[in-house]
Amino acid sequence: MERRVAIVGVAQTTHRDFLPENIRDLAYRLVRQVLDPLNLTRDDIDTVVSSSSDYWMGISCSNSFYFDAAGSYLKNATKAAEDGAFALCYATMRILSGHHRTALVLSLTKGSEIPSYWRLTNLYGDPFFQRPVGLNEVAVAALQAQAYRHQYGLTDNQLASVVVKNLGNALHNPQAHRKAKLSLKDVLASELVAYPLRALDCAGPSDGGCALFLASEEVARDLTDCPVWIEGIGWNTDSYWLGDRDILKGTLVTAARRAYEMAGIKNPSDEIDVAEICEPTSFQEILWCEQLGLCAEGKGGKFVEEGFTSLKGKIPVNPSGGVLSSHPYVSRGLIRVAEAALQVMGKANGHQVHNVRRALAHSVHGLGGQAHTVVILGRKD
Amino acid sequence: MARPVAIVGTGQTRCGKRLDVSYPELIREAVVAALEDAAISFADIQAVVTGSMPPPMEGVNGPHLYWADAMGAIGKPVIRVATCGSTGVSIAQAAFYHVASGLFNVVLAIGAEKMYEGEPQGTMSTVADPFFQRPFLAGAPGIFALQCNEYIHYYGLPEERVREAAALISVRNHNAALNNPYAHIKTRISVEDVLRSRVIAYPVRLLDVCPSSDGACALILASQDAAKRLPGLPVWVKGIGYCGEEHFFGDSEKVRWQSAIQSAKNAYRMAGIINPRKELDVAEVYNPFTFQELLFYECFGFGDEGKGCELVEKGVVMDGGDLPCDPSGGVLCTNPIGATGLQRVAEVVLQIQGKAGAHQIDGVQTGLAHAMGGMDQFNGIMILGKTI
Amino acid sequence: MDQKETRVLRGTITLPYQWALGPTNTRFFEEFQNKRIMGTRCEQCARVLVPARSFCSRCFRDMDEWVQVKDEGTLRTWVLINFPYEGQPKEPPYIIGLIQLDGADNGFSHFIGSLENYRIEYLKEKIRIGMRVKAVWKEKREGTIFDIEYFKPIE
Repeated sequence: MERRVAIVGVAQTTHRDFLPENIRDLAYRLVRQVLDPLNLTRDDIDTVVSSSSDYWMGISCSNSFYFDAAGSYLKNATKAAEDGAFALCYATMRILSGHHRTALVLSLTKGSEIPSYWRLTNLYGDPFFQRPVGLNEVAVAALQAQAYRHQYGLTDNQLASVVVKNLGNALHNPQAHRKAKLSLKDVLASELVAYPLRALDCAGPSDGGCALFLASEEVARDLTDCPVWIEGIGWNTDSYWLGDRDILKGTLVTAARRAYEMAGIKNPSDEIDVAEICEPTSFQEILWCEQLGLCAEGKGGKFVEEGFTSLKGKIPVNPSGGVLSSHPYVSRGLIRVAEAALQVMGKANGHQVHNVRRALAHSVHGLGGQAHTVVILGRKD
Repeated sequence: MARPVAIVGTGQTRCGKRLDVSYPELIREAVVAALEDAAISFADIQAVVTGSMPPPMEGVNGPHLYWADAMGAIGKPVIRVATCGSTGVSIAQAAFYHVASGLFNVVLAIGAEKMYEGEPQGTMSTVADPFFQRPFLAGAPGIFALQCNEYIHYYGLPEERVREAAALISVRNHNAALNNPYAHIKTRISVEDVLRSRVIAYPVRLLDVCPSSDGACALILASQDAAKRLPGLPVWVKGIGYCGEEHFFGDSEKVRWQSAIQSAKNAYRMAGIINPRKELDVAEVYNPFTFQELLFYECFGFGDEGKGCELVEKGVVMDGGDLPCDPSGGVLCTNPIGATGLQRVAEVVLQIQGKAGAHQIDGVQTGLAHAMGGMDQFNGIMILGKTI
Repeated sequence: MDQKETRVLRGTITLPYQWALGPTNTRFFEEFQNKRIMGTRCEQCARVLVPARSFCSRCFRDMDEWVQVKDEGTLRTWVLINFPYEGQPKEPPYIIGLIQLDGADNGFSHFIGSLENYRIEYLKEKIRIGMRVKAVWKEKREGTIFDIEYFKPIE
């Protein structure tokens, strides 16, 4: 990329079962939390790209509701709906165009206010074929897990390792929602909800979100000593119809390749120091690690089981606790970006990975991961 | 500095009651039409921007996912942009930024709606927050009528004069729609018909109001290099403006409507337009309600404050006038909301390319496309031109 | 132009939501239940906004000065709703007004009521922009926006 864009500020809510403030109040707080430490005011925001979704809020044209709360009064502000990471990519393009020098990116979801995620992801399905048979995000993840087990083998312990790791990492993250010191047995004792997935394998809803402040290179250098450069972005879409896809080898491979090419990464497993991956179920962390090229195909289970992705491992995955810990649906991908940025800044309180020069953030939504986004962040020494 | 971006193809569907096709099939119609118009194939598209009204309108969560195959977007980067009625212009602007960023050279912008599959006013009423405004701001008609009454009172205009000007707009648009193969409502009406039609939300009457339509519209945007290699006449994005206000309807007055005024100013500045009335050859103004268009004329500087009626009465904005508005028949006759803003852009493009057929205006070099959304909350404008 | 219509599948999607009011709205409605309408004042631009907010979106600062405004004010604009739609609060016809309450700097939406009929000629006599209106409170109030039945025109 010719011009460069950096993340210069990050703010997150403390993700919870229930946050008493409504989304307007939460948005205002997040924007102030991102502006104040930089000594910036609303005037310094050239454009705003938020992400939210109407079914996921119960308010149609969702960004209308929090528009002015997100600092957007009389500004060119828009919404890249459905996935917080979309907002990050779109805001980056707005700055790359040269038409804007700074951008505020924001996303909030309140899991406590809305119908169950099972219901809302079932509504991703069309009324004729996929919805009536009860497909939803968890059910399809389970279908994928079964297919994977058949092809490569997958043990319950491998699935449980992801849960133990992530909820354990969350103990060191003050912003994280669910946190617990679990054993593999604890996970295996939880109820089967969609075989082979157990209750603890599936991320429950959370209230929360985050905001990021983006700036073009000239502005970024004025604002901070440690700009987090957006080195690569890539996003991709699969077929809507499950039966038409290769449900194991989806479009994440291509999304990642686009981001890696832009970032000049040839060997992700060597060049990425930490990854924040969007894992609505434990199984999907295993699958996405392979698709991202962090480990070989079919080896994702061993990869986590043998500790390669633990906090002290070769490539820590989800040091924040991931989505299993904090799950405001539409915002979950942007929170990955926020956490990855904090790692690069050296500001990931309590769960900082040592010497991070390059971090990967990943987002996904849709059934079986129909839409993936990959963001590579880095600092120059 | 900024990378020039052109629109190199447009595609529209016939609009109206389209229960003959499923939602994805409707989208495909527009996409295929746009690809043909631009003389490119699915393989040439590098990224896609989609959008529509609130998903509850059609009852499918994440519509961009549902449309993926129909748009030829498997294996491509797709995002969804949604800003209520202004969605179409937001989609076009997002596609603009995709190309202007330098990351993509050929981008598909597609917006659609299938209002016959849902409950439009019921859905739109859920834009208002559930605590304070939802019971009162009755879908679109309520809000726009509130604004219209405020406008009439603010300038002390005789209500009959305003109603007559609005009726003239309605007749103008309905006549124009007869010459647009894609338009929904095609009926000949008179001023009397409008003045006597049923009250929907006083003072707004049935013939002052748009229909609910099914329809889709697609644009192909390209970089200068990509456009050079294509046979058609590229139309250049000269100016962009977008501006929004508060969620609480009562927080801002909506007569000297700031988001409309500012978005126009920003677009004109970028396009180097100083005297819009003289420098624009055509304007596709978002007008689901006739009265509101009078305000837009003023906010966009086509005439002075309070003089919207005069522009109509003197024929300035009418067929054959200095600045003809809505030669396509406009939103008043065709409103598949997610597509409507894109249709405004597409229609200006067709005018500049000389491809508007029976509703072609002579000598169009520069045009304005506009869309509005939310509870009188968002306004977006694009200025398009023949030269870079 | 004849299009063969394909089959149509009918369905209704009913979804339960529970929106948190948040501390500011909670306090607003507690006062509202006691027939007090509260706004907050921005220190910087001095606007008083109703319903009370926790922040001013123009100055972008906290608004924590609570101010009671009157339950009567001036009608900024109004509309007669004469069409039906799904989920409507009342059967049409009915009237919605935007009211600037005495002491507030913005408009507050609610019903206009106590009218004999909804004929246009009658309404244009009875309702004028700029006229005074006053809240009619319900006897039994529950801390929602409907604690006010409607605003009635006053001489």
